Parts: sequence; structure tokens; C-alpha cells
Amino acid sequence: MPSPSFSAPTGPDQLRFHPSPWPVFNEAYASSDEVRPAWQRLFGSLSRLGPEELALRTDNASRIIREHGITYNVYGDPKGIDRPWEVDVIPFIISPQDWKVLEAGVIQRARLLNKLLADIYGPQKLLRNGFLPPSLVFSNPNFLRPAHGIPVPDSIYIHLHAFDLVRSPGGQWWVSEDRTQAPSGSGYALENRIVLSRVLPDEFRASHVQRLASFFNSQRETLRRLAPKNRDNPLIVLFTPGPHNETYFEHAYLARYLGFTLVEPGDLTVRDSCLFLKTLEGLQQVDVMVRRVEDNFCDPLELNPDSYLGVPGLLQAARSGNVAIANALGSGLGETPAFFGFLPGLCKHLLGEPIRLPSVGTWWCGHGEDQKHVIDNLDSLVIKSAFASYQQKPVIGGQLSKRERERLVSSIQKRPYDFVAQEQVALSYAPVLAQSHIDFRPVVLRVYVSAGKNGYMVMPGGLTRVAVSPTTPVLSMQGGGTTKDTWVLSNAPVRNISLLKAPWVHTAAHRVAAEIPSRVADNLFWLGRYTERLEDTVRLLRCVLRRISSESSADPGSETQLLAHLLKSMNLYPENLSESFGFDEFRDYLLSLVFNLKTRGSLQHQLQGIRQIASSVRDRFSLDTWRILNQLQLDARARAGKLPMVATMNLLNTLIVDLSAFSGMEMENMTRGHGWRFLDLGRRLERASNLAGLVKTGFWDKNEVEVMLEPLLEVADSVMTYRRRYFAQVEPTAVLDLLLLDATNPRSLAFQLRILKEHLAQLPTEQNGRRPAGEIDRLNKVDDFLHKLDLRTFFTQQGLGKLRSKSNPLTTMQHELGGISEDLTHRYFTHSVRQVNG
Amino acid sequence: MIYELTHNTRYSYTHLISLSHHLMHLKPRDCPHQKCVSHSLSISPTPSNLNSHLDYFGNPSTFAIVETIHQEFSVTSKSTVNLQAQIIPEPNETPAWEIVRNLCRGEQIGQGLDASEFIYNSPLIQRSENFSDYAAPSFKPRQSLLEAVAHLTSRIHHDFTFDPTATTVATPLQEVFKSRRGVCQDFAQLEIACLRSMGLAARYVSGYLETVPPPGKRRLVGADASHAWVSFYCPGLGWIDVDPTNNLFPSSKHITIAWGRDYSDVSPIRGVILGNGNHTLKVGVDVVALPETS
Repeated sequence: MPSPSFSAPTGPDQLRFHPSPWPVFNEAYASSDEVRPAWQRLFGSLSRLGPEELALRTDNASRIIREHGITYNVYGDPKGIDRPWEVDVIPFIISPQDWKVLEAGVIQRARLLNKLLADIYGPQKLLRNGFLPPSLVFSNPNFLRPAHGIPVPDSIYIHLHAFDLVRSPGGQWWVSEDRTQAPSGSGYALENRIVLSRVLPDEFRASHVQRLASFFNSQRETLRRLAPKNRDNPLIVLFTPGPHNETYFEHAYLARYLGFTLVEPGDLTVRDSCLFLKTLEGLQQVDVMVRRVEDNFCDPLELNPDSYLGVPGLLQAARSGNVAIANALGSGLGETPAFFGFLPGLCKHLLGEPIRLPSVGTWWCGHGEDQKHVIDNLDSLVIKSAFASYQQKPVIGGQLSKRERERLVSSIQKRPYDFVAQEQVALSYAPVLAQSHIDFRPVVLRVYVSAGKNGYMVMPGGLTRVAVSPTTPVLSMQGGGTTKDTWVLSNAPVRNISLLKAPWVHTAAHRVAAEIPSRVADNLFWLGRYTERLEDTVRLLRCVLRRISSESSADPGSETQLLAHLLKSMNLYPENLSESFGFDEFRDYLLSLVFNLKTRGSLQHQLQGIRQIASSVRDRFSLDTWRILNQLQLDARARAGKLPMVATMNLLNTLIVDLSAFSGMEMENMTRGHGWRFLDLGRRLERASNLAGLVKTGFWDKNEVEVMLEPLLEVADSVMTYRRRYFAQVEPTAVLDLLLLDATNPRSLAFQLRILKEHLAQLPTEQNGRRPAGEIDRLNKVDDFLHKLDLRTFFTQQGLGKLRSKSNPLTTMQHELGGISEDLTHRYFTHSVRQVNG
Repeated sequence: MIYELTHNTRYSYTHLISLSHHLMHLKPRDCPHQKCVSHSLSISPTPSNLNSHLDYFGNPSTFAIVETIHQEFSVTSKSTVNLQAQIIPEPNETPAWEIVRNLCRGEQIGQGLDASEFIYNSPLIQRSENFSDYAAPSFKPRQSLLEAVAHLTSRIHHDFTFDPTATTVATPLQEVFKSRRGVCQDFAQLEIACLRSMGLAARYVSGYLETVPPPGKRRLVGADASHAWVSFYCPGLGWIDVDPTNNLFPSSKHITIAWGRDYSDVSPIRGVILGNGNHTLKVGVDVVALPETS
């Protein structure tokens, strides 16, 4: 039953109902005091929960989104920032009856547009026989001539078709847009479901909501069956333009969820008319490409020559039938708004049935009568490109000045077939949770149809997008606005299929480990180096800060110069500080190393690098690992505040915990494939090099060695080990032994060398059988130097003198370790630049 | 007439190239007045993969991958073509140009759809008022299509200067129009732009021109290079070639390689290379008419 608290405001503690402007269609209310049946149960629950509890649940939802790192990139944002995704805790509800109509409607339209594409990319009978004006195809920038005649498995061009649906004031669903080449949002819909099923668990269970998992499962099977050969175990890649794309989060998310390899343009190459993935172990043939790169950018050889997102020769590989591409190249043609008016006729002609789901009223100016109608009624229409061109923004006739209007009319008269006009639909309104009440906002629903040999399947749900304000007429994700989970209700209880458990684990998993794209290994290697460098920096800063701020030091300034010297070990020595800087100046510099992005080598600077590199390999991490990396970034946003020293120490401690959690995940959670190996290689190389630098710096001055020993142990995280082992006074030879030679101490140099040796021995040999021989030689050299060190003479005047000379063994070791890093980069990661000849 | 054609192309790179992909339009296509009797390509370094197919416009095209490290890429295309003289129609055989324009407006023109492809904008040719304003004086009311096109062609020939230093393949058409200088490719695209801006169908033809000058006459421009000209559509007669660079209707000296909407559809060699640096390009074309044997 409808809750009375919604239909009449009863006080500040209650959820108040703000009616939407009539006469639009209200999704939840049949009239001002009658809740539609599908919404009644939910409204009952919301009312029982009350505004305070709902506010808490909203916070929960935001927290899950933050932890999962669900983002949406905004183009042109100067900071290039990922905007956190927004989801409303009130889902969008569709009744079983409504859904039945929609489902049949979108399946029919998916079949229809597929047949249309099959004809245009094949015999073109529709054009010859007058069912479609040739200009709609021949002057259409989305018609890809080189894709004409390319064989397409089972004649399916559009494997995933998305529809933007709006509800008219009369309650009828209309299609406002087709997305036929690389539709986005299905991954976000899945994430929205995960969030909502957690924040409204009882309501979700009680409402008989249809589950999404089977849709993704069937989609995966469909894609698997597309493989031209090797169908038992095909290599399927998800082709993304890269981390700067607006929906990159989703690419990484879906790749992980569906078990596909996420690849960027540089990961792929065409040889012998086949598509290959560049992996550490050589080229692996790709059987199926799921693409998120737009048609025209896919192949600089045959399509847009300026594209850096494409793979030269991809069309040839497709033409030869050696790789299946979903959606087929050229399928962007299906997004043409000017087709709308022809669809009812084409539906009768191609499918022999009347069209079920109408489009938003659309007039193509290439038709004389339509052109007249458009010019006569310009004020009430939205004018846009006839061809789904992003260059031409839709304009609302009524908002034009007299001059703009004249210019538009003249353009329409000159190039009529370039324009369509659409009626401005008064969108339906759905409830959204505002601060303490329920508000109503315009919504657009995006639903997804997956097409396979064995038929069509609709995702029983979708992505509902909500306008920023009650009066925003046109919705886009770029323009902002929240989203909703979409609950399609079922008449019967729903079988529970876990979203997180992939039901297809039986397919052979053994290939996965081998298929690390070289780029991914490169990024993981540097992620290993960066996170280790960050951890070492944090430990170093914590050690120094603790000393200059602690009570134990009578004169906090006395050690300043000495401690500043220690910063040299990580190349953080303050270049710009005056010669004899004082305590305050040094403290401020240390704080800027923590908080200031612009200070060279600062924590913020390092975190930015980690963020960039981690986001390009996020499909490689489990959700928990990703959560930790996110937490690291969130924690680091702390401000210095009024007690900068306290805040700083707290922050540094927190970062150590976060970083330890990350390395714990690395050790306990990642499969021992090459990805893990390169991550750990990076970490070990960095740690070994920093350790050598630390010891070198600490033993620089004979008179100060005693003072430096404690800090050395602390920065190298070996205080406890030392105490347990020696109990005694800190003594140089013992410290050196523990930090350099003790192979049982996981922080010692000897330990790092042992692990590095193991890793190098396991690295893949390339096709031509090359082993990383140079790297192994260098490592042996470091090992030799280490074991030739005589710790007893190390601390003598002569030994220390040697430390200051060019032949310092620690410097040589650092040099060789750096050389290993360079050699690995050359051997495994090098990618060249590409260019196009006329 | 039998022609032997040799087309050499050599790219020299400043740096080593480890991988390159190429798409070539070098084999002369067959058409009613022309038959390619033999054709061979020799490519250095030897491609690891070589594939031929007919492109969307029916032109033979060849796809090649070179995986050998190289600093020079060269292609020699040798073809033998049997060419029959094209018959140039009498002006009164062609309808008034307005009739053709109105037919084109109806969109479905040509046998099947082949002319419908060539009335709209294409990657390098955008219709505009500049072009229709320029063309208009040649299109007098009720004038025959052929006369109108001939008039326009002679005006372009007269108004524009052949100057190989003025433009590159990347020079926009509007700039050519402004500077009034260019090469055969520019003039062909300019005339196409004029014809399409007038509402007519026109396509771009890439090919060769016989280089031997008839005794006592000056040598035709376009020798020792690939040539380009225009073909326009005339209902009932089909496609008629016209060469604005030489101000004539081609008859028996123009050998067609390929046609498309503009240069970008039919460029002889297109490539994407993996590597840094710049390149220089050298092209040599030889067209030899074989003595008639009977």
C-alpha cells in the first residue's frame, strides 16, 4: 500500500513528496495520491527507513563507489580527473507488464537494424529498390566503405545494441537513440546493481528483481562462439582506447568480469593477415576482439589515417576472416538518426511485421515535405545532424536568436539531407532522493540487447540516467547527473545467481597467465618501483620528522643538518634551501615533501604517478587490491591543518599501513604469473637500490656514524630484528651485517638479490630464445661486490675514505641495479612510435 | 594500343623501420575501353604477407606487411594494358545540364547506384558556394552537359597554373582554389568540387598518361608521374572522362588505374610504419606504347 508519508508532507522528519510538473508522465504516481503498483513495496520500505536511515545508506553507497573506484572521465577537465560515479539509492522500477512490451520492442528493433546493416554492407538492395535514400548512406560519415563486403559471422553486425528510451507524457516508451558500435554503460549498470543490492538488501530480496548475471554470461558465450577457430579456448580481447577514455573504468571492469584481456592499441599488431597480442612470451593470435574504439579510428591504414588508437591492418585481418570483431566494423552506421522515419516501412519490408516500439518523432530534411515541416515548426524542435556526428551539437530551435535561426534555415536549405529535427519530448519523471525529501527528475533509460547465433537476449535491467535539475531537457553523462539501478520486477520469485561468481570458470584458465601484454608488464614493473619508492620515502620522512620534533632531542635544531644529509639517500636533499638553513626552514621543507604536489619527489607527486600507472592496469587487480590502492589515494588527501606535525605523523603512519596492505595483497593474492613477477622485480630493484643509497649516506662521515645507526635501522624497517638479535648497544658492524649481508632479513640487500636472481631465471625467453643474460651478469656483479665487502674494514678510516671515492662499491651496485632496470625495459617493454605515409 | 607501364616508388627513411603495413592501388583496373593484360609487383624488402582484393569501388588493391628491418622501401609495378580509344560524344548527344542535375537530386542515378556515390562530400572534397560560383558561368541555361563541362575545364586550365612546388598531397582544396596553382591531382579535385557543387556526379580517376609528344607538338604535362583526371556522369552515356590539366577529353593516351571519390580512396601507396623520423619519396613512371604488331 502507498505510504501516506509520501503523498502528504507531515513534517521535517518525514520524506516529503514534491509533485512533478504535469502533464509529464510520473513513473511512480498514477495520480497525485496514487502510487503505481510496481512502486508500492519500495515506497513502503523507504517510508519505514525514513530520511535519516536513507541518508546513511546514501553515504554507504558513496563509500562503496569510492572503494571500488567507480569513475567516469570527463573530457576537457584540466586536471584530467576521474569523476566519481553517482548512483541514487532509489532504484528505477519497471513492472513486469511494461518490461514485456519493452523487451519485445527492443529485440525487434535490434533485429531490424542488424538486417539494415547487413544489406548496406552487402547487396544494398534497400538503396536500389528505394526503401532508403542513397544519400543517407553515401554521404554518411559512419558508412565505412572499406568494411563493405567483409565477412561477418552469422551476419550479425551488432552484438551489443543499446537503446536510449524515453517515456512520453502518454506513458508510451519511445526510442531516442540507438547505440550500435560500442555502447557503453552495461558495466556501470552492473556496478549500480552491486551497490544497490548492498545498500537496500531487504528491499532487493523482497522485490523479485530480475538478476543481471545471466545476461553477461550469455553475452560471453556468444562472443566466445564468434571465434573463427580455436572455439574451445579462444583469446578474446577487450580493445580500449586507453585510460583517458571517458568510460575506461568500465572497460577494465568488464574485461575483468568477463575474463577477457584488456588491450590498448599498442598491444596489438597485424601479421600475416591475423591479429596478434604482443605478450612477454611473443605474439599470441587474437580470436575475438570486443571493441570500444570507434569505427573510424580502428585502422589508420584503411580508415582515418590520423588515428593513433587503431591497429594498422585490422581491416585486412577481418577481411581474411581471421578475427571476429564485435560490434562489426562499420556498425556505427546504425546510429543514424535520419533512419528513424524509415524504420516503420523497413520493419514491414524486412521483417514482415509492424514496428512495436516507436522512435521519438524525427523529420529528415532530405524529404521535401519534412523540410517544410521543420522550418515551419523550428521553435518546437531539436535540430541535429542526420548522421550521428559528434561535431554538430543538437540545437533547440526555440533558443536561437533571429540571426542564428536564419543561418540554420539557410544551411538546411543548402544541405537538407545533413539535418534531422526531433520533437522535444517532455521526459517522464522518476523519484530521486534529495536531502530530506523525495524529488522528481527527468529520466532516460538505457537498455541493452545482446545478439547471438541462437537469438537475442535483453539485459533485464539497464542504466537509468537522471537529469541534473528538473528542467534540464537533454541528458548526457558528460553533462553530469546521477544514475539509478534499474529493477525489472518479476511476477515470481527470482533464482539467486551470484553476480560475483563467474559461472564459466570451467573454461580452461591456463592461458590467462601467459597473456600478459608487454605494456601491462611494463606498467606493473613501474608500479612495483613506484610503490616501493613511496614506502621508502615515507619511512625516511617519518624517521627524520620524528627526530626533529621529538622531546628526546634537547635542541631540535642540532641534528638538522645531519638528518637533512640523510635525505640524500633518496635524492631528496633540499636544493633550494639556504646554505645554513635553520630548523623552521627545514621543517617547512619536510612538510612540503609530504603535502606539496609541486615539490620534486614529494609524496603527492609520487602518488600521482602511482595513480596514473595503476589506473592503466586496474583490470589486473582484485577488487580488494584496488580498494587498497584507492584507500591509499584517499588517505593521502589529508591536510596539514593546525597541528601539522601531528597530522603529518598520522598520515605517514596510515600510508605505511596502506602500502603494507598493498604489498600483502601482492604476496598473498596475485597469481605467480609474469605480471606478479614484474611487479615484484620492480619492488626488489627499487628496494635494493635505495638500501645501498641509505647505507652509503649513513656511513658518509666517520664522526656521525654512531648517530646515524638508529635512523638507518628505522628507515630500513629492521629495528625489531636488530633488537631481537643483538639486544646490545647499536654497533656499526652488526648494523651493516643486518642491512647488507643477512639473507634472512627480508629488508637486507642480500635478500633482495636472492629474490631478483630467482625472478630473472623465470623470465620468459622471447621467441628467438634470448635469455636476460645481461641482467643476470649485472646481478652477479652486484653479488660479488656485496660479498667482497669486508665489514670490519668498512668502518675504518680507510674504508670510509673508499666510500667517498668514485670506486665506492655501493655506488657501483646502485649503478648496476639501474642497468638491470634499463635492460629489462629494452628487452621486454620497448614500443616504437608510429607514423603514416601519404 | 598496347602500353607497357613501369611505376617505381621509393621511400627512404632517416631511421630504421622495423615493421610497416601498406595498401597499394597500382594494378590498372579493367573497364570497357581498357584491359590489363599482365601485372607484376616487386617489393623490397620482400613482404612477409601479400594479399590482393577488389576495393569498394572495384579497384584492385594490394595489402602488404614488411617485417624485415629496413631503411628503404621500394615498389616496382609493371603492367601491360590494352587500351581502346574512348569515343568522345557529340555535345548534342548529352542532355542539358539542368536535366542531369535534377536527376541527381532524385538520388538514384546510374546503373545500379554507381553514380549516387559521387554527388556528395568526400574526405578531401567539400562542396561549397565558392566552387559553384566559380563554375556557374560555364553552366548557361539549357546548355548541353558536355559543352558546360568542356567550358569549365578550359577555364580551369586557363585560370590555374601548373606548379609542382605549390602544393602537397595535404594541401586543402580551398587553398588551391585561392592560390590558383597546383598539379593534376589538385585540378582534378577542383573540377570535381565544382561539378558536385553544381549538383552533378563526378569521380576522381588516377592513372598514367603516355609521355611521347607527337611530332611538332609540345610534351603533355603529367609525364613521368602518375596522372589524375575527372570522370563525370551523363545519363544514357555513362561516365565521360575529362582532363583539366591538359584541357581535353581523354581518348587513347590515358590509362586508368583506379577511381574513387577523391585521391584518398585511390592513393597509389598508403603506409603505416613503426619507427621514428622522416622520409623522402621518389617516384618514377614510364609509359611506353608498343608498336602495333599485326
